[in-house]
Amino acid sequence: MNLTVGVSDMKVSDDSESVLVTYSLGSCIGIAIYDPVARVGGLLHFMLPESSLDLNKAKKNPYMFADTGIPALFKSAYELGAKKQRMKVIVAGGSQVLDQQGFFNIGKRNDMAVRKIFHRNNVLIDYKDVGGNVNRTVRLAIKTGEANMKVSGRGEKKICLI
Amino acid sequence: MLDITSIMKKIDSLKPIPQVAHKIMSIVEDPESSLPDLSKVIGYDSSVTANLLKVANSAYFGRPGKFDSVHQAIVYLGMDHVVDLVLLSSGADNLKPEQTGYDLQKGDLWKYSVLSALIARELAENKGIGETHLIFTAALLKDIGKVILDQYVGDAFEQINTTVLEQNLTFREAEKQIIGIDHAELGGMVAKSWNFSSKMVEIIQNHHQPQESSISEIESSIVYLADIICMMMGVGGGLDGLAYRFHKEVVKRLQFTDRDLQEVMAMFGEKLEHVESLVSMS
Repeated sequence: MNLTVGVSDMKVSDDSESVLVTYSLGSCIGIAIYDPVARVGGLLHFMLPESSLDLNKAKKNPYMFADTGIPALFKSAYELGAKKQRMKVIVAGGSQVLDQQGFFNIGKRNDMAVRKIFHRNNVLIDYKDVGGNVNRTVRLAIKTGEANMKVSGRGEKKICLI
Repeated sequence: MLDITSIMKKIDSLKPIPQVAHKIMSIVEDPESSLPDLSKVIGYDSSVTANLLKVANSAYFGRPGKFDSVHQAIVYLGMDHVVDLVLLSSGADNLKPEQTGYDLQKGDLWKYSVLSALIARELAENKGIGETHLIFTAALLKDIGKVILDQYVGDAFEQINTTVLEQNLTFREAEKQIIGIDHAELGGMVAKSWNFSSKMVEIIQNHHQPQESSISEIESSIVYLADIICMMMGVGGGLDGLAYRFHKEVVKRLQFTDRDLQEVMAMFGEKLEHVESLVSMS
């Protein structure tokens, strides 16, 4: 069964029949995590780097921001029995409009926010496809830990995490 | 290079714009017109009122199923919103189908168009600039050229893609180079053939390069910025992705800060589900 993760949304699952999917990542970033032993996976689709933009919105929906969404993703997976040291991690999205440079460059800032949070928490990334100016779709099958990355117009790629 | 005349001939194959959209646009663009003129146009046609009530009753406005008359909708939502809801009908028939050349599933382009129109309206209201109904409609219809160009983009995608990657061109510039015409230019021609005002034609034609506009620079800039925000949010995005140019000077001239724009993203990110309900009802 496909479980769709929308924009500013997150889902975790330990149901071997489920496939987590998030469509059309532009400057947003999708983070897929998977524990191959517990067979627990999670997928986050956040939109903006920092919750300090609007703390009320972050409280209502922590998945909108990197700094509130990422901890929530990992915590939810731990609750289903996943362990940090076994976690495989995929990061995708963070596209940029051409010539965007610094101003309103959310794709780049989202990427930097992920790096900062992962560095601080000693999380290693197993597969990363970030930047450029494409739309991406990410799928994660809970049964096998197999992930798929589709770049609009450029086909689909299989990513084996185990 | 393809035969441009044969591409332009396809403009005639588009579904015609509902009369009510034309009537509304001519009233709102006429400084002499008044509110009662609008109510008359909206209340006159029963299919228009039926459609209007359907979208007004979507979850977007937070009162699903509560409206049973046009009058009620006008009192609660305000005339400006009601007019925009009626204007939604101008894009649906042409923009809803799938566009395989651009890798857009059924409903994707429509969702993208409605979201851009709502964001454009928000940006205009936020700054109190520009003609809002014109901005809303232009943002809604700006990608109409893609409906015609779809098949040609599908056929030439490899070449267009290579051009974008190797020459650092935008997707639109690559369309122009490979096919001979791009979706914005073609969209302007469509708007013209539909007898829209020259401002509307100009905004649609320049929605990726608003600095080229002369009679509608502010409106073009707002529609451009709404498009960029929509692209970044990724909702309903296709294979052209974010391969368009960021014109910092345009955004700065509108006096939006980085934070303002992030707030708009957050606002629409939060109500995306409601936007989708509006999209599916329209």
